Amino acid sequence: MITVYKKSKLPKDVELIRLNDSYFNKFTAALLNDNAKPIIKQIDRSELLNKYSFASRFDGTGLNIDKLSTGCKTALNIFYNADKVFDISECGENALELIYSFEKGKVYCDYPMIPFNLIRAEAFDGGKALVFNDYEELKKWWEYED
Amino acid sequence: MKIKPVVLEKINTRHTNYLIDFEFETNITFIIGDSGTGKSAVFSFINEFSYEEKRLRCFNYIDYNKNYKQSIRNSKNKIFVIDNADILLDDGMRRYISKDVMNQYIIIGRNPRGLALSYDEIYEIESSESNDIICFRLKKALI
Repeated sequence: MITVYKKSKLPKDVELIRLNDSYFNKFTAALLNDNAKPIIKQIDRSELLNKYSFASRFDGTGLNIDKLSTGCKTALNIFYNADKVFDISECGENALELIYSFEKGKVYCDYPMIPFNLIRAEAFDGGKALVFNDYEELKKWWEYED
Repeated sequence: MKIKPVVLEKINTRHTNYLIDFEFETNITFIIGDSGTGKSAVFSFINEFSYEEKRLRCFNYIDYNKNYKQSIRNSKNKIFVIDNADILLDDGMRRYISKDVMNQYIIIGRNPRGLALSYDEIYEIESSESNDIICFRLKKALI
């Protein structure tokens, strides 16, 4: 289950990654394996050709994986680096849906970023974790600044 | 504030088999859309076109720690293309851009908050293929 962090409850010792493109190109790209294929397929509708290239969804040409969308890179960052917190403010609905289905991973945004089909998510609320399975309830928690 | 484009009404450029055919109706064109629909690819083609069209200035995440905000505030008669806007544009810059009538903006992001835009200033990218040419155009977003 994905863990959600918000501004007022973000622990000081947590490493928050805001520039997902940069982090992906520098670190996550080297970690990709077959597990990345369905993620790239679902978000960017593209096939991973080998570790560092994929076929463009537009014309099938081979592109370096630095050309994946920011949303796709963000999902891969979260998937391969479950100990770090990633800003999801640049994710489209298609990327959000997949990210929230991950078994683990940590996400952050200044404002609510929740897929409409939310099933379950954990919210980090200071010393305790709250579990939400309703879009509106999670949105309400996210918007509430105490 | 909704005004006509103050710098360019069209951008038409080509990058190998990719064609950008954008027409602007308003001074701020905010582009949203699912991940992977070609927004950042379009940004890179327009960035390349900026060598030719000197009024274009392009910023993305690579400029995060650079002085792009001052560059915008000090400019006149430029068209700023900003990718990764959710990260690059804070509330202050959004307020500035919403009132700026000296420059034009193409902004790629998720959240148009603070830009004082109406629904018909928000666009998506539409791609079509003909004879191996992939053409990207703007269309009004379905919100």
